[in-house]
Amino acid sequence: MPPKPHRVLLERVSVYADEAAAFMRRRRVARRPFARLYYPHGRSADHAQDSRSGAELFVAAGRLIEVAGKKQKG
Amino acid sequence: MTTVTIQEARARVTVGSFSQMPDAAAAAPPSGEAAEVALEFLTEMSPDLRGAAILGSGGEVLAGTGEEPERWGEDAAALFAVADEAEGVPVEQVHIATEQGEVFAVRNAGLAAVTVTDRFALASLMLFDMRSTLRQLASPNFGPPGGTKSRKGEG
Repeated sequence: MPPKPHRVLLERVSVYADEAAAFMRRRRVARRPFARLYYPHGRSADHAQDSRSGAELFVAAGRLIEVAGKKQKG
Repeated sequence: MTTVTIQEARARVTVGSFSQMPDAAAAAPPSGEAAEVALEFLTEMSPDLRGAAILGSGGEVLAGTGEEPERWGEDAAALFAVADEAEGVPVEQVHIATEQGEVFAVRNAGLAAVTVTDRFALASLMLFDMRSTLRQLASPNFGPPGGTKSRKGEG
């Protein structure tokens, strides 16, 4: 007996949700800190954390994070 | 040593980093009140946002969140100074992702915006919102774009 149509739909939606959750999980685990600069005409450049410019960018970003403080609830 | 380098860079190019904005010829500088409205709109649009500031063409803080809004000015100037020095070309946008949060900085229409968000914020949306906020703020008939619809609860 074939499954009811709404069950097929539900199954498909939950498969997509599982895929999305797995993608987000992998992204959280795999993602490393980075510094990316964007220039006019769409050019961008990544700066490694261990490079001189990268290290300076991370220090400057750290200060801004400190200024912003913690997220306000509500 | 890095801190000293940044402080030197800050002192050297604080004013210069803002005068290098791609289209620094905004017709008239927006008022602090307009900047406050724009910042409020940006904050409402972005559920991941922890803090933000809008800066004028001279690097002065037009509006900022938190208890010490004036601190945004010098730290944003330092960030732009370091970013401009990286390749010797003025940057348009900066995105730095750290373990503690993410920092976005945008120059547009002679103004600059800096935001700090939680980790894994959607960069393209964040940068788009910042750019459009600055563009709207610089326009003579400023009003929050698209009413007050929030992204909160979406996707």
